[in-house]
Amino acid sequence: MCKFGKFLLKLLGVALVLNVGLFLVFFFDLDGKLLFNVVEPFLKNHYDNMERKDTLKAPYDIDKFPKYDYNS
Amino acid sequence: MAKKDIKKALKDFWYGKPHSAEEGGRRLGDLHEEKTHLYKHREWRGVKDTMYYFYMIWLYNYIFMVKDVMVMGGLVNFAKGVWRYRWVGQTYLPVLHWFDRGLEGMRGPALAGSAWHYRAMVSTTIRQFQRMFAADTRLHGGKQNDLYKHTIAHNETVWGGVFYPWDGEITNVPLEMIPYFVTCHVNSHTVLNYIDAVQSIGLPGDPCPMCQAESGIFVLDDVPDYAKAVVTCNEACDASVSTSTLQDWFFDKPLFSLPMPMLVEDQYGIPFSWEKLVKKLELQNQLQRFEWEKWEVAGKSDYYPINGVAQALYRIYQTQYGDWEIWHVTDKKVRKILEKCVSKKINTFPQTRHRVIAWSCAPLYYSNWCTWAYNCWGLNVIINMDSLMFDMEIRTDSYEHTLEDMAQYHMWAPMRRMAVGGMKHMFELWEYMERFNCDMVAMYDQLQCKGVQGLHGLFEDEFRNRNVKAFWIPHALPDSRTVSRAEIRRLINDYMTTVMHEEPLDPSLLDFDDSMTW
Amino acid sequence: MKDLKHLIFFENLLQEANNDLVKQAKAEGKRAVGYTCYFMPEVLLDLPGCFSVRLRAPRCTSPDIATYYMSARVCHYARSLLERALEGGFNFLDAQMATETCTATCRFQEHLQQKHLDSVQDMRIIDNDDFFCEFSDVPFKNNQIAYEHFTDQLRAHVLQPLHDHFGIDISDDAIRAAVEQQNEVSRLINEIGEYRKLDNPTITGYEFHVIQLVSLACPKYLILPYLRETAEEMKTRKPDRKKDFRCKVVLAGSENDDPDFTKLVESCGARVVCDRYCYGAVESRQIIDLPEGVDPLFAIAKHYLTTSNCPRFMPQDEMRARKKRLAELVKEYKADGIIIASNKFCEYWSYERVIDTVIMNRDFGIPVCSIEKEYINTASGQLRTRFQAFVESVEIKQIQEGK
Repeated sequence: MCKFGKFLLKLLGVALVLNVGLFLVFFFDLDGKLLFNVVEPFLKNHYDNMERKDTLKAPYDIDKFPKYDYNS
Repeated sequence: MAKKDIKKALKDFWYGKPHSAEEGGRRLGDLHEEKTHLYKHREWRGVKDTMYYFYMIWLYNYIFMVKDVMVMGGLVNFAKGVWRYRWVGQTYLPVLHWFDRGLEGMRGPALAGSAWHYRAMVSTTIRQFQRMFAADTRLHGGKQNDLYKHTIAHNETVWGGVFYPWDGEITNVPLEMIPYFVTCHVNSHTVLNYIDAVQSIGLPGDPCPMCQAESGIFVLDDVPDYAKAVVTCNEACDASVSTSTLQDWFFDKPLFSLPMPMLVEDQYGIPFSWEKLVKKLELQNQLQRFEWEKWEVAGKSDYYPINGVAQALYRIYQTQYGDWEIWHVTDKKVRKILEKCVSKKINTFPQTRHRVIAWSCAPLYYSNWCTWAYNCWGLNVIINMDSLMFDMEIRTDSYEHTLEDMAQYHMWAPMRRMAVGGMKHMFELWEYMERFNCDMVAMYDQLQCKGVQGLHGLFEDEFRNRNVKAFWIPHALPDSRTVSRAEIRRLINDYMTTVMHEEPLDPSLLDFDDSMTW
Repeated sequence: MKDLKHLIFFENLLQEANNDLVKQAKAEGKRAVGYTCYFMPEVLLDLPGCFSVRLRAPRCTSPDIATYYMSARVCHYARSLLERALEGGFNFLDAQMATETCTATCRFQEHLQQKHLDSVQDMRIIDNDDFFCEFSDVPFKNNQIAYEHFTDQLRAHVLQPLHDHFGIDISDDAIRAAVEQQNEVSRLINEIGEYRKLDNPTITGYEFHVIQLVSLACPKYLILPYLRETAEEMKTRKPDRKKDFRCKVVLAGSENDDPDFTKLVESCGARVVCDRYCYGAVESRQIIDLPEGVDPLFAIAKHYLTTSNCPRFMPQDEMRARKKRLAELVKEYKADGIIIASNKFCEYWSYERVIDTVIMNRDFGIPVCSIEKEYINTASGQLRTRFQAFVESVEIKQIQEGK
């Protein structure tokens, strides 16, 4: 078998393994299980513990903005 | 194994199990884990549809999501955004499970047609949050970059078409569409943080929970700083108007309530272009014309290949956001599927027992209830109120006509026309029931929508006087804690058994625990 | 203090919408025109030949049928009005001038309206063959375009229908006469209200609330003599030697036509010296100016849009200026704090209250008591505790400041 043929076979083999592997991830919802059980709790924990500014301390400058009329 | 059983197993493998229990059905309810509602394994829909789902939906969308992220703003901005903002990280990663919920049990053209709608929504969502992140001063060391100076923020009930005259120069990104509205459909957990946040500063629990959430995002300081100015409007309701007052405080930027074009010119220094406006409106009209074709098929035949949830979400997203290339690409693909269904007379929802019109505002955390209702009871939601709001073309033959129609279009914004609108519009229900050949009404009962609550009894009277079969779906828009999904299913089950005296198509879907699901 | 001569008479007038003065005016051939919102200029409903009645539903605690039609999840005020209408309590009305301002009252008024649609059956709630209901659109901004739009709305949906249905004179002269009458009412109410600014006011918040309400709920020409007399009486009224209150407050917030609520606040030691709420006098009793050479209807439209402090107004400068105006009222009336009260299910005021609660205290240093209330306040025990605690906190603050 020529080199190109072997390469093609290898490529097909890799593609097949990849396809089967991905199909298994798809079929058994491994993506969902990973996201639900690992990724979301991790991110949730991160967001829950993030330092956030106290928005109630945000300034409320009464005269900061002019009257926008655009009547003309 | 008996020969008969082998034959059936092979048939099930090739075509997928049949729908109904009588035919030895597929029992979709058994596919899920308790509480989390994650799949034990995804559904086998027969060789063709499973492969379609695997390659053309699951894999295709994962690949194109990555591609979209890379093309529209880049991976670095995305990663920074995910790390900084809860609504993107917690919500959008499980997006394929949003597909799963909406497309469960679908076959053939109905599966394909509905999935393309989802794909368009995903792409547009990525485009918007990537633009937010790319322009966000918080992710760029406080710097106002060029994108910031060419982006305008607006309330999600401000129709995106308002910004057509600056197409290509200013990008409009709604403030709440992506951080709030879409999140509720994809992962209903996220929004609860925002509702709780705004109540923690003293807002009572009774105003519209959608508006509460839209304010809560600001309370939790979870809004990107991506635009110089904000445009808001007086739609859709009292709470929506009031939300602007809290947003004004926490955003602290120039804020305008649906102003004249002079505002954009003034703030951004870019002139109004009539040519651009006309060009974009013509494109939008094309979308509207195709929608009418779709409705014609939906109303007059059994060949319509879009399910209830895809129809509702795509339509509201597309009409509210305005013209964008992805809608045309999607419509082209859907047209092919639609034409095939019509020419080959394919009954796309063959187990339909009742053609249902869904009226009033839908539960965002359970927009896929209609997929469940079809699978369980054969209730096929043909059309819904949100789809019907912008039922018009916009004339471009003269400046006056265009402005007049744009104003009309805007007045027909989500919820404005029908939820808090006048009785004429609220009771257009009968007219649309006839137009779409429906025999049943799914009446949404948004518990905190004062506009619809104010008409509750009149609907009851009319249903009775007209002998219309109708069931109510109480809910609190994004807040899945007020009325759970299980409670919604129970109410429909009760109606179907006690009033309609019908048996479920798939009994495994009658009662299950999905209390922790996205 | 010595009782006001007409107080009991006034209180009786507030027991029901179709009170003795309304009956008298109807007997004299006048047309009764109902409304709910400040944005409907009452002055236009007081043109010669008709009179305005701002609708109330006193003592309505259980709006059962209205709850069937509107559910239990909308404002109690709107439901109470519908209940009262369904009971026949508003059958004296010849017209209802509606505004699409807040959703719940809008829906209430839609129920009254004969819509003549095939799609929904009209209820004949107001048992009066002459009755009609007309809606006006009220702008969310106060600028030139808004004034013009509102003027057109008032012409098309108030003046013209009144003329067409009842032959009411809607000429400029008639409008000027109505303005003159209303201005006299306003002057008297303001004169009476001025006594609330005294260190030891010679009028209670409750009394003023009652007087203000009768001016809204009765035909102006019939209530005027009593107001004149009361204003005269006030000139010589002596305060109690010992103050019977512990602090003074501005009462701000949403719809409030319940004088017993004011009485409840005052029974806890807080004298209500200013009424910045729907049905209050701060807005509705400002003098209407009709400049020479200006269309009187335009001037009226402008007046109502510029004097309103309703949280539905959307311009950014306006959203913020409202807070400043509230702080100015505290100063003007020498109050020690503010009670911000929003009705349950009132979305506008729920939000406004959140901001006021923080900003008035943080940026203006004014103590704030923030509460949610019902239309009829049967849960007074809970509120009483809140008000008493607030009064104590104001007193402590005063002690700390050495006052």
